[in-house]
Formats: sequence, structure tokens, C-alpha cells
Amino acid sequence: MRKLMFSVAMVTILLLSACGGAKPAGTGGTEPVTITFSAWGAPEELAVWKQIVSDFEAANPGIKVNVEVSDWDAYWDKLKTQLAANTPPDVFAMDAPLFLDYQTRGVLANLQPYIDKNPDMLKDVYPQTLEAYKTAEGYYGLPRDFQTIVLFYNKDMFDAAGVSYPTADWTWDDLRAAAKKLTLDTNGDGKIEQYGFVFDQWDMEPGWSEALWSQGGDIISADHTKTLVGEPASRKGWQTLYDMVFVDKSSPDANTIGQYGLDLFQAKIAAMTPLGHWAVPGYDGAGFAYDAAPMPAGDAGHATSVNSAGFVVANASKNQEAAFEFIKFVMSEPGQKRLTELGFAIPVLKSVAESPVFLEQKNSKLNQQVFLDSLAFSRMKPVFKGYDEWAAVIGDGMGAVWRGEAGLDETLNQIVPQADEVLAKNK
Amino acid sequence: MDTGFKPLGREKITLWLMLAPTLIGLLFGVLGSILATVALSFTHWDLLTPPRWANFDNYIALFNDEKLWEALTNTFKFSLLYVPAVVVISMFVAVLLNRKIRGVTIFRTIYFLPVVTSAVATALVWNMIYGKDTGILNFIIEKLGGQPVCWLCTDKVLIALIIVNVWGAIGEGMIIFLAGLTAVPREYYEASELDGAGGGSKFFKITLPLVTPSIFFMTLIVTINAFQAYDYIYMLTRRGHGDSSFPVVVYSIYRNAWSFFNYGGASAQAIELALFVIILMGIYLWMERRYVVYD
Repeated sequence: MRKLMFSVAMVTILLLSACGGAKPAGTGGTEPVTITFSAWGAPEELAVWKQIVSDFEAANPGIKVNVEVSDWDAYWDKLKTQLAANTPPDVFAMDAPLFLDYQTRGVLANLQPYIDKNPDMLKDVYPQTLEAYKTAEGYYGLPRDFQTIVLFYNKDMFDAAGVSYPTADWTWDDLRAAAKKLTLDTNGDGKIEQYGFVFDQWDMEPGWSEALWSQGGDIISADHTKTLVGEPASRKGWQTLYDMVFVDKSSPDANTIGQYGLDLFQAKIAAMTPLGHWAVPGYDGAGFAYDAAPMPAGDAGHATSVNSAGFVVANASKNQEAAFEFIKFVMSEPGQKRLTELGFAIPVLKSVAESPVFLEQKNSKLNQQVFLDSLAFSRMKPVFKGYDEWAAVIGDGMGAVWRGEAGLDETLNQIVPQADEVLAKNK
Repeated sequence: MDTGFKPLGREKITLWLMLAPTLIGLLFGVLGSILATVALSFTHWDLLTPPRWANFDNYIALFNDEKLWEALTNTFKFSLLYVPAVVVISMFVAVLLNRKIRGVTIFRTIYFLPVVTSAVATALVWNMIYGKDTGILNFIIEKLGGQPVCWLCTDKVLIALIIVNVWGAIGEGMIIFLAGLTAVPREYYEASELDGAGGGSKFFKITLPLVTPSIFFMTLIVTINAFQAYDYIYMLTRRGHGDSSFPVVVYSIYRNAWSFFNYGGASAQAIELALFVIILMGIYLWMERRYVVYD
């Protein structure tokens, strides 16, 4: 018994010295540390996470991971409650645009000290995906996968209409002309059965940020104080989309979209759509031939959106070091390969993204290279405090335009000051 | 009406003991939440950092919040149609089912079924009914030679929501009216029949006055429900990203708190909603003294 006590004491001392005295509590004994990892996702994602966790546990026998996966809405509600009650998961998923809403409120741990101990871990990561999580004091989060927005097109519809496929040289004018030719009233009843183009009329990412940026417009100022969606160059981007919906009628209005309740491209009602890689598994199973091209160019050249999903560690976590080990594993080659197999996203690790694991996914005949090539002209989906409320002012406000109830210019004149108020409030 | 028993001595202790679980729950759950909401409405609170005192900021903001005005208008429009519709239709159903007809239990069960079914599940079914190009309702309309209607678009959404919500509520109303109807003594009808009264005059001269307590009670409950209506509305009108084609006040409260980190403002909106309900209850209680017949 005394011998056992002695060895426990020795191990404790060893562990304490290994931690450099930073966190003396909670590391006594050889008990494995259990951490909780929480993420949003579909049921099939839970299975992949469990696989990643078992790989991780095999490589790190001292750490056990509990995985919790909820749907998007439930995830954020639960997370906020857990944070408020000071019982958050040790490590949890973060959507980049919302990052500052949490980081500025002090609930996230600074990962910089851990990154400094692993100087090579970010060397092979796409820098565009890291930007969102960088603060003056270092990284408070790290990306696990990312999305660039590309132009998906239905090959069957293009072939039937005799229109040549989108290319990397396309401009918005080319897209508009093709969309017109692809808009059909197939049964001659005066109503449109097939639209040339559909975009997300609320969310900027798969919707309108590309149109604005490519014309030289912008979303918000770098210091997060001014909304720029009403600037003249931005309005040019809006105008293209507006004309497609209300002049050419090659893109459905909000009321028409609303009736379907699903992705019009996947439903074979629209011939083109800007979307991210998350749509690929669904499209692969939808039974039509499709491919993807880069987003078209405007006055200011090509532009697309890059956004990442990442990890953060709770400031209240008692096992931050173990939590970081888990992040490190998911960002390493074995972890990234597993995540890529899921097929929803693009790995942040160049060595995996540029390997057959990503480029030659067995279930997809899609040209995956276009997602990586788009990084050359990508812009980060803005990350700022008050994102949700700001996006609601713009998205809800523009809803009236897309339903055909309000004019474009008058609406922009009205919502930009409201959006600026939100920014001022969240300063 | 004072028919309750008056507990004495030991009975009183037993009574309090038996009531204690509910009372403690009410005290901490309901009263605690109300007090917390009142307190929070005077703070700026984002849930993650400590609340800051806000004086009347959140209440002043109520007047400048255009989205809240829209939500209030929607809540009032909804209530104005919903309350009379539920009261009238559930009374009608109750009168029909308050007689000896074959299979009355089956009918009662059918009418009550929506009450015990998950609103989320039934809302999904209603979505399938209302869809413009994919919906069952428009399929029928088109088969009959009509033009498809966008049921959940801005101009039709109110009526579409009223139909679903009323459908979901008449089961409960029917039960309350059935209880009220069984309390109407049979002799009154028999006596009136001897005097040659028909079905219509029996209803308006006997049934209606004698079920005024039920009508009053129903109106009260249904009004409160109308102001709190949320699940069907949210499921049928959400447009993704937290937007709705028919935002109501409860929706605004939820979105301000859980999406916008504005728990103080959301609390003030909740208090505002409660005040409207309290004012209406005051009016109802005043009307009760004038119009409700307690035997």
C-alpha cells in the first residue's frame, strides 16, 4: 500500500512538472482525461466523428472523447445555455462568421500557447481558412474544413438547350445570357417550369456576396463599422441579380422558391446555382449529370466566398490541453482524410486537399479541382461581432425585394443605416 | 356557486402537504421566471457576460423596433381572427357531438387528435398540403380547373395559418364546451319542447345563455394561446436563417434572445406581451360581470 502511494505521488509530481505548473489541479493520477466534443451536423456526420474519435483515442490512450452532434438550431441554443451555466463542452464546433460573437465575450480559450508548442502544425494549412480565427492575441480557434462557392450546373439541361457549359472565362453577362436560354416553359402554359439560375436570396455566402465583390463592391468595412452593400459598385452586383429575377425572369422570386422548400437545383428545376461543397453528396444522389465551374467575373474580375467551420476550446474547460490535442489530431493528415471521406467539405490541409483523397472521391465524378482553384480569387465571408443580427437586417430587408414587394434602391437606402446601427451597437 | 368544502384542522395540513409539490414548482418555476424576466428587462445581457443595468433602454427600444411593430401587428391580426373562430367552431362541434349519435366517441377522438399530436409533425403535413406546385390543396384546385395559390405567401399566409391553428385548437375547446353542455339540465329542453320551441330557439334561448361561463373561460384561454401561438407559425413560415414570412411577437422574443444575444430586449418584449394579455384579461373580467350567467 505504501509502495502504491509512493508511485502515485511520483507520477503526480512528474505530471505536475511536465505541465510547467500552469495547471496543477485535475491532472493527478493516471486516470484518462475525458473531454466532450460538441458539433452540429447530420446523423451521418456523427458516425464519421465517432470514427475520428476512435482513431484519436487509439493514438492518445490518456484521453477519452464524448461526441455530441445536434442539428444546427439546437446546437447553438444548447451551446449558449451550457456556456452561461459554465458547463460548456471542452471543445466545440464554430462557424467562422459567428466566431467573434463568442470570442469577444471571453468564453473561448486562447490557443496560441498550444500552437506555439507545435510550430509546424499550421504550415500546411490554407492561410485563407485561418484568417477568421486570428485576433491581436493570437488564434482563439482553428479551422477543420472549408468551403469555396462555385457555380454548379446541370449538364443535362445545358445539353438539351444546346448551351455550352460554363467556363473559367465566364462573366456575369455570359451567365445571364445562358440563364435566359435555359429558362423554359416546357408545356406552353405560360408558366415557367425550368429556371436558368437560382441563388440564396438571404445568405450572402451561396447567394449575393460573389455578385457584389466581382463588381468591385463590398460587404462591410475592414474595421466593421460601415455596411458597404449599398455602395455604387455593390449596387451593380445587386442589379444583375435583380434583373435576372424581375426582368429576364430567368431566376425565381422568393415566393416561387418558397413553395418548394428544397434546393431547386437538386429538384431539377434550376440549371445553375452557386453553392459550396456541402451540396455535393446530395447532388451525387440526385440522378442527373452535373459539374462545377468557377464563379463568373465582373468589372473587378472573379470573386468568390471562402468560409470555414472550425473548432474552439471553452475558456471554462479544465482539460484545455487534451481538447487541443483533439483539434491537432483532426487537423492532422489522418483526421483530415477521415473528414474528407464524408464528402461535405474541403480539407484545410493542403497535402490532403491536393491528394486523390479529395480530388478523386469515389462517389463523385465532379471536377473537385475547381474548389481549390477558386481560392485564388476568394474573399473571406465577413467575421464580426453582431453577425447574426446584421445579417438578419440585410437578409430580411432584401426579402421584400425578392418577393417583389419593394424596389432595390429604396430598400438598400433603408436597410444600410439599420445595419450600421447594429454594427455601432456591437462595437 | 360556492360548493367547495372548507378544510378544518388536520385536514388543512394534509391539504397543504398535497398542494406543496405544485406550489413549490409554481413558486420557483413560474414566479421565479416572471421575476427574473422583469429584472432582466432592465439590463443589457448577452447571456455570456454579466448583465449591465440598462434603466429603461429596452423599453424605449420597443417603440423604435420596426420589426417588433410588424410582429405586434401580426399577433393582433392573428388573435382577432383566431379567438372568435376557435370559440365559435369548437362550440358548434361540441353541440353537434353532444347528442346520441352512432360513433360519437370516434368523432370526439378525431376532433381531439390534433391536440395530442406533435405540432412539429402536423406542421410538416400541413406544409405538404399548402405547397404551391407540390401541395395537395393546389392539386385539387388545379384538378377542378382553378389556378394554383401560393398559400404561405405574404397575402394568404394569415388565412392559411388561422386554418391550421384553429384546426389544432378546436379539440380542446370541444372538451370544455362538452363539459359545459352536460351541465345544462335536460328538463329545460323538455319544457321548451312542450311550449313548441324549435332547434334554433332552443340553442339561442337555452343553450347559449347557460354555457356563457364556458364561453367566457374559453375566450380567456384561447386569447392567451393566441398571443403565445408559435409552433405551427414557425414551422410553416420560417424561411431559413431565422426569417419568417409571418413573424409574431413570441418569434421576435426568441430571435432577439437566441440569435441576437439580446436577452434584455427580449425580456422587455415578453413583459410587453404579458401587459397586453393582462389588459385584455381585465376587459374580459369586466365583461364577465355584465354578461356571464352563473345559474
